[in-house]
Amino acid sequence: MRSRSLGANGMASRSHSRARREATLAYIMLGPSLLIFGVFVFFPFVKNFTYPFYSQSTAAGFGAFGGAAKSKWVGWSQWHAVLTSRDFWHSAWVTFQFVVLTVPVGIGLGLFLAVVAHQRLRGITIFRTIFSSTVASSAAVASTIFFSLVGTESGLWKLRIHGHGVLDDKTWALPAIALVAVWQSLGLSFIVMSSGLQSIPDDLLEAARVDGAGSLRRFWKVTFPLLSPTMFFAFVVGSISAFKTFAEIDLLDPIGKETGGTSLLAYQVKRLAFDGESRTGQAAIFAVGLFVIVLLLTVVQMRLERRVHYAR
Amino acid sequence: MRASTVRLLARYAVLTALAALIIFPIYITIVNSLMRPAALANGPAWWPSHPTFSNYTAAWTDARMGRYLFNTTVVTVAITSMQVVTAVLGGYAFAFLMFPLRRVMFVVYLATLMIPGEVTIIQNVATIRSFGWYNSYAALIVPFVATGFGAFLLRQSFLTVPRDLHDAATLDGYGHWRFLWRVVVPISRPAIGAMALFAFLGAWNQYLWPLLVTADDRYRTVQIGLKQLRGQNLSNVTVVFAGTVLAFLPIALLLLAFSKQLVRGLTAGAVKG
Amino acid sequence: MKRLITFAATTALLVGGCGGSSGDKTAVTKSGAGVTTTSVDRVLLAKDCSTTSFAAATKPVRITYWHSQSQSNLTELQHITTEFNTSQSDVFVTLQDQGGADETLTKYKNVAGTSDAPDLLQLNETSLQTMIDSKAIIPAQACIDATKADLSDVLPRVHDYYTVAGATWAMPFNVSQPVLLFNKTAFRNAGLDPEKPPTDFATLSQIAAVLKSKGGVKFGFQYKRDSWVLEQFLALAGEPYVDHNNGRSGRAATAVFDTPVAVKVLTSLQSLVKQGIATTNAADGPEGFSNLIGICNGDNAMTIDSSAVLATAYDTLAKGQCKVKVDVGVAPLPLPSGANLGGTLVGGGANFIARPAVGDTASPKVLAAFKFAQYLTTAKIQAEWAAGTGYIPISKGAASEPALTAVWAAKPGYKVAYDELANGVQNTATAEPLIGAYKDVRTAMKTALESLFLDKVDPKRVLQLAIAGANKAISDYNAANQ
Repeated sequence: MRSRSLGANGMASRSHSRARREATLAYIMLGPSLLIFGVFVFFPFVKNFTYPFYSQSTAAGFGAFGGAAKSKWVGWSQWHAVLTSRDFWHSAWVTFQFVVLTVPVGIGLGLFLAVVAHQRLRGITIFRTIFSSTVASSAAVASTIFFSLVGTESGLWKLRIHGHGVLDDKTWALPAIALVAVWQSLGLSFIVMSSGLQSIPDDLLEAARVDGAGSLRRFWKVTFPLLSPTMFFAFVVGSISAFKTFAEIDLLDPIGKETGGTSLLAYQVKRLAFDGESRTGQAAIFAVGLFVIVLLLTVVQMRLERRVHYAR
Repeated sequence: MRASTVRLLARYAVLTALAALIIFPIYITIVNSLMRPAALANGPAWWPSHPTFSNYTAAWTDARMGRYLFNTTVVTVAITSMQVVTAVLGGYAFAFLMFPLRRVMFVVYLATLMIPGEVTIIQNVATIRSFGWYNSYAALIVPFVATGFGAFLLRQSFLTVPRDLHDAATLDGYGHWRFLWRVVVPISRPAIGAMALFAFLGAWNQYLWPLLVTADDRYRTVQIGLKQLRGQNLSNVTVVFAGTVLAFLPIALLLLAFSKQLVRGLTAGAVKG
Repeated sequence: MKRLITFAATTALLVGGCGGSSGDKTAVTKSGAGVTTTSVDRVLLAKDCSTTSFAAATKPVRITYWHSQSQSNLTELQHITTEFNTSQSDVFVTLQDQGGADETLTKYKNVAGTSDAPDLLQLNETSLQTMIDSKAIIPAQACIDATKADLSDVLPRVHDYYTVAGATWAMPFNVSQPVLLFNKTAFRNAGLDPEKPPTDFATLSQIAAVLKSKGGVKFGFQYKRDSWVLEQFLALAGEPYVDHNNGRSGRAATAVFDTPVAVKVLTSLQSLVKQGIATTNAADGPEGFSNLIGICNGDNAMTIDSSAVLATAYDTLAKGQCKVKVDVGVAPLPLPSGANLGGTLVGGGANFIARPAVGDTASPKVLAAFKFAQYLTTAKIQAEWAAGTGYIPISKGAASEPALTAVWAAKPGYKVAYDELANGVQNTATAEPLIGAYKDVRTAMKTALESLFLDKVDPKRVLQLAIAGANKAISDYNAANQ
């Protein structure tokens, strides 16, 4: 970060009124955003921690009539019930498995494609465009394509395992969804890795070549270490978004999405809060779980980013 | 054949194989979206032998994909343009202005990046209800008009504006607004473009939130529309294919046109030095 | 505000054995077994359905109807609605497809009591207790009393399901029954008599095995893992699903479906799958139709599904999109044992009248919504509806309407479901269970069925799992609604 703060020089020389004008201007510029953050980020965030202390009656979930229905204070009982439940920890475990299945594979494939496409060839732009093409797809598009191709009886090819569909198989449903997620994020992964690769000075690789290093050795000794900050970034950002996976589950409707092998945390938040009987208190605790994970990842990222900076 | 020619051909072969593998799902989707449903009774089509656009008509009108695309466009354009404005203002304030609680405000912006949407949805849906905004464009747009990430990105870029320019502008009697509008924004256009594209993609691909706050065709977005489409056409997979292409194509064309900004936007922060 | 409190009291009193305070709209009586029953005070209720405001309102009164019919059933509903709109000028109905009954409920929760709320909504039969507890609907009884409507033409078993605490809470409309669907062509290929489909579990297994080996299909039978079907099997055996007489004499507290009959049903279905004779598919979501499309693709030759899919199935066949030759046969649900000891349950859904926005005490839309809901129960419309969809006519008179008798003569499959319901006896086992957390109870059973078929878990253990899940859901619900 370039520390070029305006504060150090000249602050004292400014007149008091000018400083006040500047402060007013700053808050005019930040005001609208702060209002939005307050209403739609910080207030609901804080409020989320209060939900688990109440049990909500059915009537409380019904729109404008809900206000008249009382929520009942239940103390820590819901926290205790959820945090000691198999469903919560299983969901966290499944989500972790999903992240492990998607993120390293996605980064690895992206890196592989980037290396393959990192050569001077006629028409390489076409290949690069194709490699990055899935960036135009969304989770919904990718899921719908996968589903229509192999996920359903009316699709083009129904993928069967032991007689039932792949999304109906307890073992293979999660890997199948991971495949969809990896394909969907491949374009992004490729673009990120390619830029990282392009930022490596050619003379470094050239020097290694002159020293007699083979292409594999050049990759491991020069390219890979220089790419590691990029990969680390991709790993953290990719993990955060993988932990929040929702659309694939909602669209592909795999077996075990309620409490089984595909019960990802974000889906549980939505399911418990909005489907069937609204269990907002339980849902809020699942949401807190998700928050803690994202927080840890962000902190790790910031720590390491700082280290990277100091290293430079 | 010379060894180098063989190597060259091998390189192309590898590239082509990988490209085919990646593009295959999209290719087969497009091909089969052009087939009559009955033509698939004997298996999938590998080539559009007698192409028809009837599936597209069905998806566009019967399945209301046209309306969903319109809604998504309205929402996405609104979110993107407003995010650009708030991010430019925020970025400018943090880069060029001194004000009380500056550090605190900076942390506030930073904090928004650490709070995942899932933690706020329960109350946010309730808030939207209480505003009477359920099933409206306001519900889809307003919560997203401010962006901590965008403000950061632009602050980083604004900090690279040479200090001399600021001094010169001040000497010329430029106020902050004029300096922002005449100097900072033009110089930072690439960064703003990248940030805008990033915002655009994020808004276009939203899924969970629109699912929770829309109820009918008037406001349903195209991503949610895909779920609706599939539900209504369980036995007409060709219509689902056509609808998927409709959801995919606009963004693909847009990205082709703005590929530079895309790379910049997506890799912002990833590649340093 | 006062009304809300009294409604809270009304519904709180439905909790069995809990007793409690009496609201001014309800009267509590203790019956023999210490079970509390309640009845709703009709006089106060009638004020919710204002005839005077309807009479005074500018015509037509425009109402919105949320439904979740699709495919052929949607076409039929649109047709009926247009008929209604043109037949009179007092009420004009606009249809809004919500994509599914669950979606309808979720969305209604968001808009109840606001200007975005519909005036009439179609929900699954499983939503009944939730809607009673929601205080967000006007009981149909209010309008029945206000207009002195005569519902005697509605099949008593159907009407009874929606009657709780002496009041009719919703207007039945789309009632379906589970039926056995099979491909007669596959029967012929296998040398079986297509006019003799299996009537009990023993023959179902035998026939499925023959179909698999000689019928040219991958599986003789495909079971959709729907907890609804198991509820039906138990009802056929004359056994209740939850305690307190299926939740009819007090709020259900415990699931009681772990009976020998249930074990028998699950054991024989599991053994079919273990032998590779049968396969299963998920009951909801996109996989929910795999069993039907599978017949069309030649993957299976028999399945169990709701009669509501009949019209769509026939229409799909007519389009010639099937990969194999299909001649659809329809038969009653096979009996778990030799004899019919009960009867199938009233499945499907009903129309609930939305409570108008807070403060809008005399909305003419309540009566307008009721008028349309009532129109949908009439003999002529029910005949048309049943003929065009496969739902069963809930009006006694519909059975003799020419529109329906003609279809029944041409396609006897349409009549199977009607006979099933008509042949059933009326007792607590066949009165569909009234459960607060019905959807969660079904999810518990669904998860248990997954372990039965996919992990080959012992049927007894499967039922224990389902009971545990169901009881937790019920106790959570009851605790929140005490």
